[in-house]
Amino acid sequence: MIKIDALTVQFGGIKPLDTLEAQFSAAICGLIGPNGAGKTTLLNVLSGFVKPLEGSILLNDAALLGLSPQRRVSLGLRRTFQQELVVDELTAMENIQAIADHVSADHASARREVAAALDFVGLSARRSVLGRQLNLFDRRMVEIGKTLIGRPKVILMDEPGAGLNEVETEQLRRLLIQIPSVFDTQLVLIDHDADLIASVCVETLVLDFGKRLAMGPTRAVLDDPVVRRAYLGRE
Amino acid sequence: MTEMSKAAPLPALAPPTAEITPRLRAITIVAVVGAVSVVIAFTCGGYWLSNFTQAYCMALAVLGCALLYGQLGLVSLCQWALVGVGGWVSLRFYHYVHPPFVLTILVGGIGASVIGMIWGLPALRMRGLYLALVTLMLAGAFQSLVTVISFPVGGPGFLGQVGASGNDRITMARPVFASGDTGYFLFVAVVTVLCIFLVEAHRRSKPGRAWALIRKNEQMAAASGVRIVFYKAWAFALSGFLAGVAGALLAGLFGQLDGSAFPTTTSIVIFIGTLLGGYDVWLGAFLGGVLTRFIPALLIDLNVNTNAGFMIFGAALLFALRDPLGLGGQLTLLAERLYSKFQAQRAS
Repeated sequence: MIKIDALTVQFGGIKPLDTLEAQFSAAICGLIGPNGAGKTTLLNVLSGFVKPLEGSILLNDAALLGLSPQRRVSLGLRRTFQQELVVDELTAMENIQAIADHVSADHASARREVAAALDFVGLSARRSVLGRQLNLFDRRMVEIGKTLIGRPKVILMDEPGAGLNEVETEQLRRLLIQIPSVFDTQLVLIDHDADLIASVCVETLVLDFGKRLAMGPTRAVLDDPVVRRAYLGRE
Repeated sequence: MTEMSKAAPLPALAPPTAEITPRLRAITIVAVVGAVSVVIAFTCGGYWLSNFTQAYCMALAVLGCALLYGQLGLVSLCQWALVGVGGWVSLRFYHYVHPPFVLTILVGGIGASVIGMIWGLPALRMRGLYLALVTLMLAGAFQSLVTVISFPVGGPGFLGQVGASGNDRITMARPVFASGDTGYFLFVAVVTVLCIFLVEAHRRSKPGRAWALIRKNEQMAAASGVRIVFYKAWAFALSGFLAGVAGALLAGLFGQLDGSAFPTTTSIVIFIGTLLGGYDVWLGAFLGGVLTRFIPALLIDLNVNTNAGFMIFGAALLFALRDPLGLGGQLTLLAERLYSKFQAQRAS
C-alpha cells in the first residue's frame, strides 16, 4: 500500500504536484489525468528520481522519501517507463536476469524467478532471442517480466499499453489482472486508455494540474461529470 | 571519458541463429590469438617481433578503451597515460622488492586500476565534450609529470633515479621462462588471451548486464536496483587494470621506460583503434590494438614519416563512421553466420 501525504513538487514557478493526498490500497490502482497533470512526475517521485519540496510517502509503513532509487527497489518497489527500455544487445532472459542480479536473494532463487517471469509473460520459448529482434509487444512483456522479480510489493507501470494494437491490449489486460494474485503484489497503472483502466483497475486516482481531482472506485470516478469534463473532454 | 547518450545504432543485418556457447567462444579466442601469435613468433624477429609485442600491449589498452565505450558509452582519452602509470608502478615495485615477474604485472595493473578509478570520477558527474577534454588534460598532465620525474631505474628514494650520470641504471628482468624475444612475445600473447577472457567473463555476467542497463538508461538501471556509481567505477578499474598490465609488459619488454614514450596523442590513437577494430567484440580490440602499432611500424620500416599514420587513421575513421561494427565486428558476424550455416547443414 502507498500512502501519499501533502506531496508538493516544484520546478521553478511550476508545481507539477501540489499538496497531493492519496492512498493506493486496492490490488490494482489506476492513475489518470490529462497530459501535464503530474502522473509521470508522481511516479518519478515514488521511484526516487524527483525530490519533492514537501510531503511524505509511505510504502507499507516505510517512509520512502530520502531513500535512493536502489534502496526503494530493495524495499519492493518496481516500475516500468513510458518508453520501453529493453536492451537490444541482451536476450529476453538476460534483460530480466539483469534485475534478478540485484534483487534476488541468491542464484537459485534468481534462476527460479526469471523462469517464472518468462513463463508468466509468455516468453519462455523466446528467452534466447535478442532484445533487438523482439517485436513491441514482446518488448513490453520483457519490461513487465522485469518488474516481477524479487517479490515486488508495488509495481508502477507507466503506459504499458502504449503502441499496442487491440488484440495485444486485450492480452495485456488479461495479464495485468493476474499479476496481484500470482505475485502477491500491488499494481499502480498509468494509461491513457480509459477502457483498459476501467476494465483492470479497482480504484483510480485522477490528477489535474498536479492536484487530486477525484479518487475512488474506478467506474464511479470515470462516471464523475467533473472527471469527464477535465479528462475525457465530455460530460 | 565522455559519456555518449546514444551510441550509433548497429546495422540491421540478419542475425546468426546458432548459439555461440561460452566454451566455443573461449576456444575461438585461444585458436585465433594462438594461431596468429605462433605465426608471428616463428616468422618474425628483431624489429618486427618487438613491434608485435608492443602491438599486443596496445591491444590490451584498446581492450580497456573498448570496454568503457562498448559497455557504457564512455570515451576514454587517457588510456595510454594509464599504460604509463602501470609501467611506472611495476618498475617502482620491481626495484623495491624484486618480485616474480607475474606479481609485478599484477601490481602494475592494480596501480593503474586505482588511478583509472580516480580519473574516472569526473565521469560520474560530467558528460559530453567537457568530460572528454578533462580526461585528455589528465593524459597531458601525466605526460608532463612523467617527463619531470621519469621512470624508476633502480636508484634510491621514491622516484628511484640514479642521478645525471646514469651509470647505475638497472633494467627490469624478464621472467626466466620467457627471457628471449620470442619467448617473451609468446608470454605476452598468453597474458593477452587471459585479459580477453577476463573482459569476456565480465561482459557476459552480472557486471556486463548492469553496464548494459546503465548504457541504455541510467534511471531504468537505478530502478532495476543497479548501483550506478559502483558499476561505473568497476568499469574504470577494469579498464585501468588492462592498461596497467600493458604498461608492465612494456616495461618487461624494454627493461625500462622513458617519459617521451607516453605522449597524449597516443591515447587518441587508441580510441581510433577502438572504433576501427570494433568495440563490441574482443576481436575488434585485438585487431584495433595490433593495427595502431603495426601501421606506424610499417611506415618506419618503409622510411615514411610516421605522421602519415595519422592521415591513414583519419581516412580509416571514415570507414568506422559508416560501419559501427568495425573490422572485428564484421569478421565476427561473418564467422557466426558461417557457423550457423554449418550447424544448419549438419542438422539437416
